[in-house]
Amino acid sequence: MSPLKIGAFYNPHLGRELAEARGIDHLAMADPPRADDPWWPKIKERYTLLLHDYLGQLSEPLDERSIQRARSLAELYHTPWVAEHFQCLHTEDGTYNLNYVFPPLYTEEFLTRFVTNANALKARLDQPLVMENIPGFFDVRHSQMAEPVWLRRFFAATEVGFLLDLPHVWLEAHYHGARPTDWLAEFPLEHVVELHVAGVTTDADLEGPWIAPAEPSEEMLAFAAQAVTRCPGAKAVTFDAFSPSLTAEALLRSVERIRAALA
Amino acid sequence: MTDRALQDLVIRALADAPFRRSPEWRQRALADPERVERFARFLARHFYFERIVHFFKYSTVLARLTGRRPEAILGQPAFAALLPSLVLGSRDSARAVAGLVVAHVKNGASAPPIPYHDDLLRYEQTMMVVEAGPRVWREAGNGQPATGNAQPQTVQGTALLDLAYDLPAVLPKLLQPFTTVPDAPARPVRLIVARSRHGRVAVAKATDAIVSILDLADGRKTLDDLAREAGLRPAEVEATLQGLTELGAVRFSTGS
Repeated sequence: MSPLKIGAFYNPHLGRELAEARGIDHLAMADPPRADDPWWPKIKERYTLLLHDYLGQLSEPLDERSIQRARSLAELYHTPWVAEHFQCLHTEDGTYNLNYVFPPLYTEEFLTRFVTNANALKARLDQPLVMENIPGFFDVRHSQMAEPVWLRRFFAATEVGFLLDLPHVWLEAHYHGARPTDWLAEFPLEHVVELHVAGVTTDADLEGPWIAPAEPSEEMLAFAAQAVTRCPGAKAVTFDAFSPSLTAEALLRSVERIRAALA
Repeated sequence: MTDRALQDLVIRALADAPFRRSPEWRQRALADPERVERFARFLARHFYFERIVHFFKYSTVLARLTGRRPEAILGQPAFAALLPSLVLGSRDSARAVAGLVVAHVKNGASAPPIPYHDDLLRYEQTMMVVEAGPRVWREAGNGQPATGNAQPQTVQGTALLDLAYDLPAVLPKLLQPFTTVPDAPARPVRLIVARSRHGRVAVAKATDAIVSILDLADGRKTLDDLAREAGLRPAEVEATLQGLTELGAVRFSTGS
């Protein structure tokens, strides 16, 4: 197994620091580069870039415009794989939009939808597709199976890669009163290509922990170190923080600490 | 009801605070109501944080002079008081939240005063309100709008903005480093602010031809009707309509 690549997200407000940074193997791109970003040419030249933009929700087929956008971003970045999320965040008619990742119901109908639409997207991409797990803050009673079971069946039916977001697993475990390592063991880790590691902080609205642009705790780093040993196909670990409030120090230190924890 | 329709109900409940209180939602008992409420409030704060940061970016730059960061309203009681009425993505909610931002930033004392500050806040507020509304996420066909013999119609929500200062001349300078606040020429400009079907907001200077066509395009008049009533040449109407369509201010209806 080749060594894991350790990277972060490209945060344009930290362009100068990232253009000169050492110890970062790759950058994930959550947004296309702005035309007036003075650091983009150097970033593009220096780094392996991972496409991690919003392409669309796979509860519906992506339309031609979205597919062409995905293809053109993939070509711009020379990305080794294309990432999307297990999300369904806007209504079919477009009236309501949460503007935030939100998981689908874990039902047979949604499984069929995601399998069909992921297979269709995969066929139109020149790079492998990877899909990221999304946490739920509450359970919807209509769901028919647990998230890990649904994911296992999805990956078996599509053979796309798994982008395992560890804080998302940690949060799911927290809100279900389970131990993160026990909850993680249920997931189809043999499909993992990339892992996300990040910090969580207490959110005042949720009155509990949630994902935040913060450094990972020692507990999260230990969780990550344990998780990668169970993911034989993992190629990269990414510090998952993308926010104007993120400082260069926090980003660089997080990458360094992740690298040390996984060494 | 399909699972997809049920998911839409959950999404609506998270986005639409009045709906969360309705019997239609509550009687379904699909999820722990307290958890849903907490997550909905989290989403609302996130939703408007993103929009305030994006649309009030010039006010954010000027916060070192005004002492007022636009997104600070999200932590204030006035925003908390709005939460029970917010519908994420609705124009009324965007107007209410943007209004709080404007009031908050205006109350900051800038030294020295920025002459075009009121214009700037109206511009940012208008951008945020115009962005609100349902959007097309997927094109059913090839994505090309109908034209030809179809009748143009001004898109609901398109706004005309009369300003005392030529803001487009100063906006790019505000995003560059500066030691003294850049001046804006004191000359009246009229801007058109429109949104594409996919939610992209665009701004352009409004000519007299644009104003006439926006006023007349009701989805029933043909291109020749517009030319006659606006006193414009058909070629001029056609060119103006093309620009307005690209901007998102006009769509073509295919009905009779």
